[in-house]
Amino acid sequence: MNGFGRVSHKFACFVLLVMALSPCGARAADSTPSMFSFNGFGTAGLVHSSEKQADYTSSIVKPNGAGYSHAWSADVDSLLGAQVTANLTPQLSAVLQVIAEQNYDNTYRPHVEWANIGYQLTPEFTVRVGRTVLPTFLFSGTRKVAYTYPWVRPPAEIYGRVPVTSSDGVDARYRFHTGDFTHAVQANYGGSEQSLPGGGGTVKAERAWGITYTVDYHATTVHLAYQRTTLTLESVKPIFDGFRLFGPQGIAIADQYDAQNKPMSIMAAGATYDPGKYFVTAEWGRTKSRSFLGKGTGWYASGGYRFGKFTPYITYARATADNLSDPGLNLTTVPLFLVGTAAGLNAALNSILSQKVVQNTLSVGGRWELTQSTAFKLQYDHTDIGAGSPGVLTNLQPGFQRGGKVNVISATIDWVF
Amino acid sequence: MPTISHAGLVISGLILCLSTAIAKAQVDVVVAARSPITQLSKDQVADIFLGKTSRFPDGSQAVPIDQIEGAAVRDEFYREFADKSPAQIKAHWSKIIFTGRGQPPREVSNSIELKKLIANNPHAIGYIEQSQVDDSVKVLLEK
Repeated sequence: MNGFGRVSHKFACFVLLVMALSPCGARAADSTPSMFSFNGFGTAGLVHSSEKQADYTSSIVKPNGAGYSHAWSADVDSLLGAQVTANLTPQLSAVLQVIAEQNYDNTYRPHVEWANIGYQLTPEFTVRVGRTVLPTFLFSGTRKVAYTYPWVRPPAEIYGRVPVTSSDGVDARYRFHTGDFTHAVQANYGGSEQSLPGGGGTVKAERAWGITYTVDYHATTVHLAYQRTTLTLESVKPIFDGFRLFGPQGIAIADQYDAQNKPMSIMAAGATYDPGKYFVTAEWGRTKSRSFLGKGTGWYASGGYRFGKFTPYITYARATADNLSDPGLNLTTVPLFLVGTAAGLNAALNSILSQKVVQNTLSVGGRWELTQSTAFKLQYDHTDIGAGSPGVLTNLQPGFQRGGKVNVISATIDWVF
Repeated sequence: MPTISHAGLVISGLILCLSTAIAKAQVDVVVAARSPITQLSKDQVADIFLGKTSRFPDGSQAVPIDQIEGAAVRDEFYREFADKSPAQIKAHWSKIIFTGRGQPPREVSNSIELKKLIANNPHAIGYIEQSQVDDSVKVLLEK
């Protein structure tokens, strides 16, 4: 597939090899759990969307979903995950997590979500090498394990902002206590590559670093994150190569919007208060990039009340983005025989600019605990899409009208074991 | 009016006494008889069992031992000490497991087994039905 894919595949094999070769024999047996732990999780879901000229789906990585492609789509949320954790010594551990879900190429070929080796220098300080999921938002680490949160899926207005969700590299976490506060500071450095559907090529993140801080105090958790990376989207390069042929004004446009080695930053802040009977959660995030992705902001607020095994909840989420269009090249200043080419480039630029997500969503839903490790969720989303934007919808058809309203119904069963 | 409010106070006082007595009647947090630990607050106990800390307040290692999933004493323990239902405990540990940050405490199938483990390990901490308490373990006082 690609360089990063091969590297991570090799690393996953290495993690397995370390697990297999480690001596399984004598251990200071009492009160230490067994060396290997097997865990799994999954979601079986069905989604229906009122918009028939586009697909509703849960990630920019997915090629299709509910609406145009399927009246009821199982691809939006369904997945299976398996994990093996090896506690090789009290300090050394290895984790391998594999997930099968709808991929960019419409297959369910399993991919490696986590593959790392961790070393605990002190009980408070841990260093990991390998693939980890970036802890950008409150629920980023387990966004694929839907059992761990109340909703069918985390709000796309925030969680859909970031094209880079994992990192092949190194991270370090220091955890400490002051009074009743538990603090965790985590730093990461690495890179990743993700294939996009529909000939979108790949998103490459290089020299990615970030720092996150989480503090727990009784029922309150506050999470802050800053991530920075150098982003490359190869698929849009031909458009900007074209602009650069048009002299200073073309070069200025290309410099502003191309996505070759462009820095991108993410700032995020979130808090949740969960005393047991109910919960309230809010998150805010901003992405900034000197590329066609530009600036975008998203936030949501959510709350729910637990009536025994039934938890109804409500969420309001909002996403905004800066310029969804650009006048492009001034056609009156280009040579007559190039006007057609220039107009084509302007159209291509505006087509990628207009993919940005501007929308707000009101969601109501409920979670029922079926067993100790299985939950059923039913959620209704009403989304108001901003003028000129397709919202989070993909696979847009010629009859699609931007800036409309969409209603989505989702039903899922989530489990862990 | 004064008599009514007085009666109300007595009744609510009675209810309060009853409810604490009921809660207290269920679960005791225990350590080895020779452990130097004598008292912990509810939050300190919860932090140890939820994996937020691996040490007692005095800095020594803390090894929590859980009762098996589905045991009434376990559900009661987490309700009283962490205000969490069994599903919330499951979700809490799922977040830690599936980010590779740890595994839940070791489980034992009943209070007799738990007492055996606790009695032999000065670092261990567990919980049992009050009726199961004997000389092999020490009941922690609530700070």
